Amino acid sequence: MKNRGILALVALALVAALVITLAYRRDSGPARGREKVVAIFKTGAGANAFWAAVGEGVESGAKDFGLEVSIRAPRDEIYVDEQIRILRDAVAERPAAIVLAAADIHRLVDPVRDAKALGIAVVCVDSFLESEDADAKVGTDNFEAGQKCGAALLRDLRARPGGGKPRVAVMSYVQGSSTAIGRESGLRDALADRADLAGTSYSSSDDAIAYRQAKEILAREPELAGIAALNLPTTLGAARALVESGRQGEVALVAFDNSPEVMRLIERGVIRDAIVQKPFNMGYISMEEVRGLLAGKRPSPYTNTGSVDVDKANMFDPENQKLLFPVAGQ
Amino acid sequence: MRIRRIQSTLVRAFALIVVMTIALLGSVSLNFFRKTLVDSAKQSTMQFAAQLSRIVDNYITYMNDIALVVMGDEDVRAYMAEPAASSPRDRARIGLFLGSIRRVRKDIDGVFLVPGAPETGGAMPDYVIASSPGAKVNPDYDFARFASASAAASASGDRPFVSSAHVENMVDGRYPWVISLVRELVGADGAALGYIQVDLNYAIIEDLCKDIQLGSSGYVFILDKSGDIVYHPRQQLIYGNLKTERIPELLALREGFLTSEVDGRDILYTAKSSARTGWIIVVVSYVSELLAGSRRAIYTFLLLAILCFTVSVFVSSFVSVRISRPIEALRRSMQEVEKGNFDMDITVECSNEVYQLARDCDIAVKKVRDLIEQNRRDSEQRRLLELRALQAQINPHFLYNTLDSIIWMVELGENQRAIEVTSSLARFFRLGINRGSEIITIRTEIEYLETYLSIQKTRYKDKLDYEISFQPELYGYRILKLLVQPLVENAIYHGIKNKETPGVVRVYGEREGGTMLIRVSDDGVGMDAERLGELRASLSRSPDAEARDGAESSGGGVGVRNVQERIALYFGSAYGLAFESTPGVGTKATVRIPLVEETEP
Repeated sequence: MKNRGILALVALALVAALVITLAYRRDSGPARGREKVVAIFKTGAGANAFWAAVGEGVESGAKDFGLEVSIRAPRDEIYVDEQIRILRDAVAERPAAIVLAAADIHRLVDPVRDAKALGIAVVCVDSFLESEDADAKVGTDNFEAGQKCGAALLRDLRARPGGGKPRVAVMSYVQGSSTAIGRESGLRDALADRADLAGTSYSSSDDAIAYRQAKEILAREPELAGIAALNLPTTLGAARALVESGRQGEVALVAFDNSPEVMRLIERGVIRDAIVQKPFNMGYISMEEVRGLLAGKRPSPYTNTGSVDVDKANMFDPENQKLLFPVAGQ
Repeated sequence: MRIRRIQSTLVRAFALIVVMTIALLGSVSLNFFRKTLVDSAKQSTMQFAAQLSRIVDNYITYMNDIALVVMGDEDVRAYMAEPAASSPRDRARIGLFLGSIRRVRKDIDGVFLVPGAPETGGAMPDYVIASSPGAKVNPDYDFARFASASAAASASGDRPFVSSAHVENMVDGRYPWVISLVRELVGADGAALGYIQVDLNYAIIEDLCKDIQLGSSGYVFILDKSGDIVYHPRQQLIYGNLKTERIPELLALREGFLTSEVDGRDILYTAKSSARTGWIIVVVSYVSELLAGSRRAIYTFLLLAILCFTVSVFVSSFVSVRISRPIEALRRSMQEVEKGNFDMDITVECSNEVYQLARDCDIAVKKVRDLIEQNRRDSEQRRLLELRALQAQINPHFLYNTLDSIIWMVELGENQRAIEVTSSLARFFRLGINRGSEIITIRTEIEYLETYLSIQKTRYKDKLDYEISFQPELYGYRILKLLVQPLVENAIYHGIKNKETPGVVRVYGEREGGTMLIRVSDDGVGMDAERLGELRASLSRSPDAEARDGAESSGGGVGVRNVQERIALYFGSAYGLAFESTPGVGTKATVRIPLVEETEP
């Protein structure tokens, strides 16, 4: 009876010592359990400057927000089945979160639902799903980017020699991709009835296909005043065909995304404007969202990372240089 | 319960003292420790920033040296003076010269010669010589871009102009990130011949800063003198407004320390500006990481605190047990005493005040025990003495003689007197025996004495006379029974009886302060000095000695001693009997007793 107080005090001291030791271990231990995140892109970072920048942002974010990230991608963005398989394999590893750039707005819905059912947080980056299954979406507002593209075209288009609305060809990449759909509808919204659209082609994000399609359009459309190329490979293919045709003076090419090649083409005047997204920010913010989700914070359902209209005049502005030109050695 | 309270009070007090000491000492020393830690961290980050600044300056100096070497070359000077006059072979040779510089040093991305004065619209792009791979000058290069740099170079005279980090597009198809150093080339006649530009590969600066780890999240960034970012590991985030640095403040500060709070974390900016370039090297460190050492100190301190706390609890409980155990032992002993067991030794195994207390208790208990024993012996003695007094009262001789007297009276036909004496005798015994109480009132005693003396008067007739006189105020007080009667009996048997002539026995009672004096005097034969001495000596003898002497010849001595002892027993040795006697004149016995109120039971 009389020792009970002392025993209680000693027990209290022991418990406190244990708590402190554990807290210290947790605090100072180098192997602080970092949560695993799998990022699944549409295509490998090595082949594509855009996805390289997204990857850079993801890795920077992982470092800043204490996450362990593994980046995976199919060989090319047309291989939707391969992306689904990669996603299913990733889900089997039970990471804390998955960052996904959906190659198809329909077909990745079910695998994402399966992941969510297992308690895995899902953040969609760049390309989204038709459903609202993802916990958060981070990416360019492609409708808005499409509108910017349309606005740039309207500035650059010369009037049709015979009068009437200028003829514009839309060169898209993958039918069914959310980004392609968004950009095209934004573009159409901006052009509305101020341009005469010559139809939409799909390059499957292959510059060789885009080249052939552009050649074919240029041959078919002698009065063509503008081309809107909605992603990087399509832009490069279209630019090559346009240079070969020698009509870069009369056909305004407005492109999406950037690479040193695109910048050179802007300098040369082949490409009038490039609507450039902010892939680094996309990757970084998606990791910030993951961190917030894992910490139990309410996610912001959609984060627009924005886009910039780059032309020859502003491409070397300090705030654009970092966005447009990767630093050598990275 | 009380025992536990001593213990818990002590434990609590100890714990409180320990906790307070630790808290006070801990917070003071921890604060001091943190301050020292931050100060030393500031010192080392400043040293670090200074070192970084020196490295960057070295690169700039190095670029400048290259520019000077190129500028000193005769062929270059000749070409710059008259580019239009040069042959393609001359240009190729200069290109090779510039290219060799570039090849030797990988950190130089390009060396360019720009003849003419682009800021005045006199640039001659056709004659620009580049050392970069391919060495084909970008046909779309906008020399307006070069104008600001060349103007700055002209303005700075002998000192080179150093640009911020930028993308160089002077070579066709290449967009390297570089830092450019531009110098104006002046001819022998003082006329401006054109410019030389040396590009430092930006990756050098980036590699220098990128891998710097300051804690787990600290980093380094560089501002140029106008506040543009030369290098920042998260430059894109800054342009995207996802991250901000306190650039205006740093620009104003240029050198020193700045603290800020970002996302709830305290940040320490350490700025060091370069004298050569005016760039500001900023080291960003997180205060929490600088204080990582103090965190370890806190944990260690807390563990030590808990250890001290535990030890103090043990020590205090040990001490309290040491204190409370003897008290508990003493208490148990006292409980035994409460139950009436005085027959025990109170010993407590310890050596402090409690031991003394226990010893005092022991002494007290032993005293009580002795008193109880004394009391028991006294009451035994009292009973014995009372018995003896009764035995003395029922003196057979007195009874025989009285009965003889009664027989004679009856034989002589003095029936009336026989009745009186017989009834007196009966009353005498009733008064003496039938009273349960040992203490009676003076009134009763007087009645008793009257009865006794009247019986004796019957025997001694004219030979005996008596007188009883008490102050009336004494009537209410009490007296031990059979106290005066033996003295009266002595006076008759030893004083009056042996006298030829009639004698008088006088009993006086008077008050003297708080005491009562009862004098029994006779005018009998008296005692000589020897007998009086014997009598007085017998009064002061102990009861045991008296018992040893057994039956003393004269019964009178026994009665007197009995009286003396009973008085001493009841009222203490301050009271008692005193005798005065003169042979042939008489004897006077004085009883001195305290005034005892009637209320006594």
